[in-house]
Amino acid sequence: MRTSERRGGVRDALIASGPVTIAVLLGILPVAILLVESVAPGPSIDNYVTATTPLYRTSLIYSLGMGVAATVTCLVVAYPVTYWLAHRCPASIRLPALIALTLPLWLNYVVLNYTWVWILARGGILNRLLVATGAVSEPLGLLFSDLSVFIGFIYIYLPYVVLTLYVSMERLDGRLIEAARDLGATNRRVVVDVVLPRTFPGAVAGAIVVYARIAGAYTTPEILGGPGDVMIATLVVEAFEQFSALGLAAALSMVFLLIVVVGFVLGAQLPPVRRELKRW
Amino acid sequence: MVTRLDRLLVRGAGRFPGAVVAVTFCFLYLPVVVVGYLSLSPGAQPTIPLDGFSLRWYGEVFADRRFVRSMLTSLGLGVFAAVFGTTLGLAAAYTLVRSRLRASVRGAIGAVIALPLFVPTVVVAFGIGITANRLGIGFGLLPVALGHLFWVLPFSTFLIAARYGELDPAFSEAARDLGADRVAVFRTVTLPLLLPALVASALFCFALSFNEFLITFFLSGSGTTTVPLEIFGKVRVGATSFLNAASVIVLIIGALAAGTASAIREPT
Repeated sequence: MRTSERRGGVRDALIASGPVTIAVLLGILPVAILLVESVAPGPSIDNYVTATTPLYRTSLIYSLGMGVAATVTCLVVAYPVTYWLAHRCPASIRLPALIALTLPLWLNYVVLNYTWVWILARGGILNRLLVATGAVSEPLGLLFSDLSVFIGFIYIYLPYVVLTLYVSMERLDGRLIEAARDLGATNRRVVVDVVLPRTFPGAVAGAIVVYARIAGAYTTPEILGGPGDVMIATLVVEAFEQFSALGLAAALSMVFLLIVVVGFVLGAQLPPVRRELKRW
Repeated sequence: MVTRLDRLLVRGAGRFPGAVVAVTFCFLYLPVVVVGYLSLSPGAQPTIPLDGFSLRWYGEVFADRRFVRSMLTSLGLGVFAAVFGTTLGLAAAYTLVRSRLRASVRGAIGAVIALPLFVPTVVVAFGIGITANRLGIGFGLLPVALGHLFWVLPFSTFLIAARYGELDPAFSEAARDLGADRVAVFRTVTLPLLLPALVASALFCFALSFNEFLITFFLSGSGTTTVPLEIFGKVRVGATSFLNAASVIVLIIGALAAGTASAIREPT
């Protein structure tokens, strides 16, 4: 028995070694090498000093700010959507509706971003409609702006938030809402006292999944953005393409990663999230 | 605005959530429909509205050797990621759910595998690119394929682990009691029960790999190009009917893979 158990342990370790090797070689090691690169040659903190000068700080703040704005907007839209899906939608169309709302997750985001060029361009669909209906006299410069980047982010990341929030919303017992109503709660009280606290973990999970992706996005600002505000990923890609100032790009990546990780840790400290994490 | 919202909340949400869903549907699918419509343009630059319909640009896409080659590369990478991403995901799911490793070790393995979900992709991708350069691994098809494996691993792992965790261990115990060895139990009991999850995982891995951009971008070097890279390069030059037709083809491939996977994953 004992030898078979030991043999079982060796076999289990062998099975685990495959995925762990991939995850360590392409996940942990590259981040470690970035860390080394960011203090080389030296060690010195010169790159970090440069990374926090106003030029790069602006870009960092713009990226993080865009991340917050787009994440919050996704949540605001996803709440009524998932509430309808989980508690209002006829059971027969729930699954098709959920699949339809989350299908874009599996579509190419380069292409999805590109579709908005045809909507927002000066000669695009929206401007045609606005001019034809007389709402504006000449086409608006909607494309290549903060607004078009923002719309692109909502477009790409809303389905992620819908999916994660739906998991919590589905677990929310509809009878709780009924009970609150029977006891005379207004809809506002139902939302504030029942729906929000019960679905908070789903909202945090959704925010965690999309926030860092939005702040670190490359293709959306590249396709829909203007020349003005540069996001972190663009700076990193440029450094890599020109193969210069790699240490600075590495330091920027590290500062960015640190901010994101601190954000996650703070999020995990929130009592409802902690309770949820403990259940795992 | 605020008072109206208040009144809405007090009087009952009523049709409000349903209306948001309808608007969201339009928001998600109108742009896709627009590009689908514009892809039927007879001219290289579509006019709005179109002055005729033609499938000409679909023909041009399939006649474009660069695009076809990138399509073959992407499909090949997708199949590779589907097969090996799911195999590794099965190994990882077994490790997380059933292995006799200590709970703390399993927790650490789960966290390491989940890393690409939480670390910003640009940071990981940049790190992988630097690593490939510094360690002399270089760039090209093989590094890209490994990068895709890494990218799909958390998805396949957690999808299969969810199903693995639901399996009643009594099934395998019964088979063991009846004299089957571990390999036989795994082959004849566990694997068939996991099959829907494995097929769904393979399709999702395919879709993830087929659409992956950033890791590929950092690892491909100059020789290798995939469909997302090819389209990104063309988007930067400008919007055309060719690009619209290529976009529709790419969207259909992703939707087919994910749609089939969703249908399998929810058997009811």
